Amino acid sequence: MEPSSQPQPVMGVATGGSQAYPPPAAAYPPQAMVPGAPAVVPPGSQPSAPFPTNPAQLSAQHQLVYQQAQQFHQQLQQQQQQQLREFWANQMEEIEQTTDFKNHSLPLARIKKIMKADEDVRMISAEAPVVFAKACEVFILELTLRSWMHTEENKRRTLQKNDIAAAITRTDIYDFLVDIVPRDEMKEEGLGLPRVGLPPNVGGAADTYPYYYVPAQQGPGSGMMYGGQQGHPVTYVWQQPQEQQEEAPEEQHSLPESS
Amino acid sequence: MEAGYPGTAANGAAADGNGGAQQAAAAPAIREQDRLMPIANVIRIMRRVLPAHAKISDDAKETIQECVSEYISFITGEANERCQREQRKTITAEDVLWAMSRLGFDDYVEPLGVYLHRYREFEGESRGVGVGVGAARGDHHHGHVGGMLKSRAQGSMVTHHDMQMHAAMYGGGAVPPPPHPPPHHHAFHQLMPPHHGQYAPPYDMYGGEHGMAAYYGGMYAPGSGGDGSGSSGSGGAGTPQTVNFEHQHPFGYK
Repeated sequence: MEPSSQPQPVMGVATGGSQAYPPPAAAYPPQAMVPGAPAVVPPGSQPSAPFPTNPAQLSAQHQLVYQQAQQFHQQLQQQQQQQLREFWANQMEEIEQTTDFKNHSLPLARIKKIMKADEDVRMISAEAPVVFAKACEVFILELTLRSWMHTEENKRRTLQKNDIAAAITRTDIYDFLVDIVPRDEMKEEGLGLPRVGLPPNVGGAADTYPYYYVPAQQGPGSGMMYGGQQGHPVTYVWQQPQEQQEEAPEEQHSLPESS
Repeated sequence: MEAGYPGTAANGAAADGNGGAQQAAAAPAIREQDRLMPIANVIRIMRRVLPAHAKISDDAKETIQECVSEYISFITGEANERCQREQRKTITAEDVLWAMSRLGFDDYVEPLGVYLHRYREFEGESRGVGVGVGAARGDHHHGHVGGMLKSRAQGSMVTHHDMQMHAAMYGGGAVPPPPHPPPHHHAFHQLMPPHHGQYAPPYDMYGGEHGMAAYYGGMYAPGSGGDGSGSSGSGGAGTPQTVNFEHQHPFGYK
């Protein structure tokens, strides 16, 4: 019961933060205090002690943390937009320098078969699958890049399904993919959002740490929930070394040739 | 135009032949694996944009596979609507680009337009003729050859996949008559219990691992086949890939 109730205040904070972003900053402190109180209650002794004695300082600290989080968020957005601009510049450059039009990164016959899965599709020109092969390549690259941004935000090195769900949620042109990722993955993405605020919290003053000790405490909790949600986390961990071993031959071109 | 129509029909016939052969080899219904892009190709593309230390979970790989098929169907549906509205029967590359623009993929239109333009230049150069009809025929001929090569490579990959995944299907592959659909479906059901659902189950780790190994094996087969067919051509093909990898690698690190 408590684990389930704890994430809700965090989500409330996230929602408040997202809502407060467009309006002026003055609107944020009241919203922050409302969810802040429930967040403080579960830990009990440590946060409650400073709260009643220094309400004014707490409010000031909230403003400071909010500003830091806002700056961090803006920097993150700018960095990600820069990554996307570089991505598209690289794609155009790669296409302009293309010399091999015989070997496509995706099989044309498979593309054609998927196109023809729609019974209304009658005939397909030879060039359409060629364009689709390149389009799908770019689509995979862009979706993977946007998903990896979410992986990095959560300080992980394994791209997971919930990262793809986050990328789909954040990108309008991916709306047609919402049915592919379950809502659980998207809910998990919601859990990931507060983690974005952790770095500025850590960077903030030491006085603010006791208050945001709650999100840090919930971090491992959400991790446990993640482990609980997936029935085979151990299997994942155990098979990672095998994946690494398989990657080594892929990187070393000699081994694939020998095998 | 008249010349173009027979070419398209021939392409359609070739595709039908391939489809018929695969259906005869496997089962009347479209197989699960034919609905998705080969996972080895998908993983290879994903890694081009990821840093070297990045790992990809199996459910993420499968999700990207699903997303790509959905993307093709999404764009194709819009392109086909335009064809029907204009009472045309053939979906062209321009229809595909138009559909992308209409569905919000504006960033894709310019790069792919350049790609299409360069592809047509390449086709023209390969034939060495300037006549429209000649170019059309050349395009068809080249497409046919490419189709054959792709078909062979794809067949090899599929055969390897079947051999790794299903012994029964391997037997079916060896012998022209396919196994009974019910056993095949049952096998799939055992491997992926939620097969009745629209998407593959993310928790079938052992199967996924095995499938991934199979796909990797399939990935290597076409490369070796390419080497066997043409050494110089294969070398030329290999070099750009290496360059691409090196080119994309620094970007990934950023």
